[in-house]
Amino acid sequence: MRRFIAAFMGLLALPALAAEGERITVTGEIIDTWCYYSGVMGGPDSVVGSAHHTCALWCSAAGIPIGLLAEDGTVYTILKLGAQDNATGGDTALRLASHTVTADGMFYARDGINYIIVEDVLEDFGIVNLTHEDYDVVPSFAIPEPKE
Amino acid sequence: MIRLAATFALLAAPQFATVASAQDFSTNSEAKTWNLYAEVPALFEGKIIDVMCELTGDCPPNCGDGERQLAILRSADDQIVMALKNNQAAFTGAVVDLLPYCGQTVTLDGLMIADEDFPIRNSYLVQRIKAADAEWATANQFTKVWAAENPDAKGKGPWFRRDPRINALIAADGYLGLGLEVDEAFKKYLFE
Repeated sequence: MRRFIAAFMGLLALPALAAEGERITVTGEIIDTWCYYSGVMGGPDSVVGSAHHTCALWCSAAGIPIGLLAEDGTVYTILKLGAQDNATGGDTALRLASHTVTADGMFYARDGINYIIVEDVLEDFGIVNLTHEDYDVVPSFAIPEPKE
Repeated sequence: MIRLAATFALLAAPQFATVASAQDFSTNSEAKTWNLYAEVPALFEGKIIDVMCELTGDCPPNCGDGERQLAILRSADDQIVMALKNNQAAFTGAVVDLLPYCGQTVTLDGLMIADEDFPIRNSYLVQRIKAADAEWATANQFTKVWAAENPDAKGKGPWFRRDPRINALIAADGYLGLGLEVDEAFKKYLFE
């Protein structure tokens, strides 16, 4: 009995083991997770693509996690983007903001969040989600009004 | 003995994690509303971690020194809470605010974004942080750090209008990211 309890308590004391990853290839848009999840600027369709491109640059540069919004609606939080160690705030993340890409990397899921560590961006399709046609720009002040 | 084993088995079952995740962390929270549709005040204790390290075992010193996304490993249920946002209304993340506490167990207050239907879980706006016996620190350090790192970008207006990397990309590809020709036509439609 004591051995059983000791073994169980020992198991509890172990540090969390690293999760097992799975290699995946995903095509999707690189998005700003805060605006997408929080609804702070409107519904999810308005905070992706060209309408939200400038805001996506701002958020990425300031360290808000970026995500890969796959064609099936799954969002993968990007922890690494190709050769660049820092997925968020780095030059690659800025250059690819709002772009649709095909990415190859390791997938992890934990506590309700999907993660991807992108090893390679296999293809960059550029910005193909032309949301400005429906939403203009989000937020509305993203493009400064020209001075008279 | 059988009852004890059954209790341990119950603790280890997946549904226990679900029960734990549904805990109410709003007690004693003083988080201020952002009027977000799915916000829930949340005050809890946890360890500041480098998420990639936690998932993969690849662990550089000091949580990546600002090069990695940071999160909170919540003490109550061992769940990873992603820190998406700090307390500034200027499009700013929370890495700068959490990095000084890398590896430490701290208390955090802020807003959890929780919507099981979306679905979204364990995504957090950090408003303030308290380490051990220290005073609460407001999570508002990004703009100060940015200003220190960009001394040549001084001027009027918010940081995001003056950031050299952002401005270079907009100058090359426009505000829509579709090229300057598309941008000019769109600006005519928008402002004329």
